[in-house]
Amino acid sequence: MADLLRVRDLQTRFFTQEGQVNAVDGVSFEVREGEVFGVVGESGSGKRLRDADLAADVRADRPDAVDGSFVDLLGLPDRVRRGLRGPTFGTVFQDPASSLNPSLTVGEQIAEAVEVQRRADANPRSVDSRTQGYGLAKFLVGGTVPGSGYLDEASEARAVELLEQVGIPDPAERAEEYPHEYSGGMLQRALIAQVLAGEPDLLVADEPTTALDVTVQAQILDLLADLQAERGMTILLITHNLGVIARMCDRIAVMYAGEIVERGTLSDVFERPVHPYTQGLLGSVPDLDSVGGRLTPIAGNVPSLLDSEMGERCYFADRCPKAMEACLDDPDERSAAGSADHTARCVLTGMDYGDSPPLAEDHFGDGPSRDGHDGGDP
Amino acid sequence: MGRAGTATTGVTRSVSADGEPLVDVDELVKHFVENDTLVDRLTGTEPTAVRAVDGVSFAVHRGETLGLVGESGCGKSTAGKTLLGLQEPTDGDVRFRGESVYDRSGAALAEFRREASIVFQDPFSSLDPRKTVGATVKQPMDVHDVGTLAERRERVRDLLERVGLSADQFDRYPHEFSGGQRQRVAIARALVLEPDFVVLDEPTSALDVSVQAQILNLLADLQAEMGLTYLFISHDLSVIRHICDRVAVMYLGELVEVAPAGGIFENPRHPYTQALLESVPRVDTTERDRDVVPLSGDVPSPRDPPSGCRFRTRCPEVIPPDGCDLSQQAFRAVMDLRGRVENGTLPVGRLRTELGADGERADPEAVAERLYDRTVDRELPADHAASVRDALRAVAEGRDAEAAKLLRERYETVCETTPPTGERAACHLHED
Ligand code: SF4
Ligand code: SF4
Repeated sequence: MADLLRVRDLQTRFFTQEGQVNAVDGVSFEVREGEVFGVVGESGSGKRLRDADLAADVRADRPDAVDGSFVDLLGLPDRVRRGLRGPTFGTVFQDPASSLNPSLTVGEQIAEAVEVQRRADANPRSVDSRTQGYGLAKFLVGGTVPGSGYLDEASEARAVELLEQVGIPDPAERAEEYPHEYSGGMLQRALIAQVLAGEPDLLVADEPTTALDVTVQAQILDLLADLQAERGMTILLITHNLGVIARMCDRIAVMYAGEIVERGTLSDVFERPVHPYTQGLLGSVPDLDSVGGRLTPIAGNVPSLLDSEMGERCYFADRCPKAMEACLDDPDERSAAGSADHTARCVLTGMDYGDSPPLAEDHFGDGPSRDGHDGGDP
Repeated sequence: MGRAGTATTGVTRSVSADGEPLVDVDELVKHFVENDTLVDRLTGTEPTAVRAVDGVSFAVHRGETLGLVGESGCGKSTAGKTLLGLQEPTDGDVRFRGESVYDRSGAALAEFRREASIVFQDPFSSLDPRKTVGATVKQPMDVHDVGTLAERRERVRDLLERVGLSADQFDRYPHEFSGGQRQRVAIARALVLEPDFVVLDEPTSALDVSVQAQILNLLADLQAEMGLTYLFISHDLSVIRHICDRVAVMYLGELVEVAPAGGIFENPRHPYTQALLESVPRVDTTERDRDVVPLSGDVPSPRDPPSGCRFRTRCPEVIPPDGCDLSQQAFRAVMDLRGRVENGTLPVGRLRTELGADGERADPEAVAERLYDRTVDRELPADHAASVRDALRAVAEGRDAEAAKLLRERYETVCETTPPTGERAACHLHED
């Protein structure tokens, strides 16, 4: 399979009173045509950001750069986006309600996306209008382009067709309703319809089911899997939910502190994880199919992503039960025993625990103890 | 002591063999009146109540963890807050050690406040940002005037250690703590008066999975050390399974199934419990090949819940009347159509216009035929198809009530006429 999307050395930084924060720090990956590529990570661009006020400031300045656990493609600087060379993408977000305009009908908003796509087809050089979705829809309804009067019947009919394809019952009636008349699951479907209107090569689904109940989540995952099977759609799925990853993805990347720490096929990562963070993440999830027992949490907390505090070492070393002196040099990403796709950014790809002197528990000062009982790293 | 004159619905309270339960919830009802708009008042329209909790009964036994699970809006959090008396109940009763929570006043009420506490979901908003964590944890002792100041401080320092923080964090402020650490502070505060009973309302839902695991382990340790009884409210079935001894499943304000955790997870009886479990994606490489039939539709409004079994509008096993030979899918389709006839949501006007635009006759026959094509997405046996066509014809002629009646006479199910009850699962398929 050819690569549809290549992301090279992506950096997302933003600035706070406390200094530069490296939310995404040199991430590279590729998404192959027709696959579902998953990016999984816990929340947390770092604990410095958990202060609500600070987060609000950052959002206002740079809405694209808030959360280090995902790569916000729409928020990429132009330079990077141009580097994407060709494929168009549409994004489905966690919160569908805020992605649609409350004062236009759902049908109008999808029909607009259809119109935009049509104009882009007629004039392929108007690159801007090919990044249909959130930003553009907002722009459109901002009054620059006349509203519904401008939409022709063909676009409206196409909008109804799209609503039907995403499983909205009575699409013709529902097209005339406003977003607030839709349930959360229906809104997410409508948003997917809007994205499909842009005929994207790549669907970016950013926590698409996080705000939904589990029975509705199952419906949306079903829809995404159908779209993928029927249209050969390529999907980049970003989520914190390991179950969603397991259900949907061919290959996955695990992120920690702004870096990809392990990647490979689903079975590489789930069945033969090499990186202690991946192992810890998998060990933390309570299992629906077996009873009780103790979980094996990861001690401590997500580290600071402040540039001045990050240093040149494995960022997981302060929480890692296998930290060694060798880990104090920033380890490279190396292939791990698994498929050709399997790599990990960890010294354990090339040595065993103990080959280098283990770090003392208090190596990083009064950091967390490693007994799984979270000492506390204020 | 249920509500006089109202039939018990849902899962009935089982009489326990091991004596009096610590907490005994009896037909608890909590309705919220919203939408009290000016227009409502001018026109004298009664605002419709949101029936958040609509007659639930269950018992929590000493030393156990009872899980209360359900999707958003099912009423589980409201039930938790109402049973602690943090909200006025609309009806029903809750007894703590045999004595009504709502009848208490003075010393009896203060005693209940000491013995029952709560931990909320959001560790960011539940702590006062202007107070040190020590002061926050200590506050309930100040309110209840427990011990000397020195004793209070000593107890807080001790508790901070027990929840995995350190005593010298007493003078720190919440913003200096991570989400998991703040939840530890909230737990310490909930335990400072040495309660017997703690309501844990989605205590790990705002946390990352690796931190959630720390908190779940901590809660289990504290329960063992201090002999606590928990009501654990969560939407996360994996967490519920991990921590609970017994589980109560809620749907649209009612309990649909109550059983020991093993029974709920290995042998779920209620069709909703089954659907809920099936929906959860497993963290396993075989997950992609697992067949999941998602539940159709959305949860109906708690302002106007369906008659009979509240799950009947989505239930994949809704029971056809005696002698009805339709397959389950076909019966489901007919039930869905009936719902639309009754709500008047069939697109009659649109189809009439559509036919006109296509240059075809728009007489009731043609409208009914198009309605049939649009709304019945599967082959029905000839006699059923004829009944449905008759009804749609009536709809096309504006005789909606008659259409509804025609269909009801042939397809009325026990699931809509009779609220199911049961000791374990409230479902007509499992009537004992
Ligand atoms: S490099 Fe060292 S500290 Fe980092 S994850 Fe691997 S073993 Fe742990
Ligand atoms: S009573 Fe009927 S509708 Fe309700 S769960 Fe049982 S079979 Fe389904």
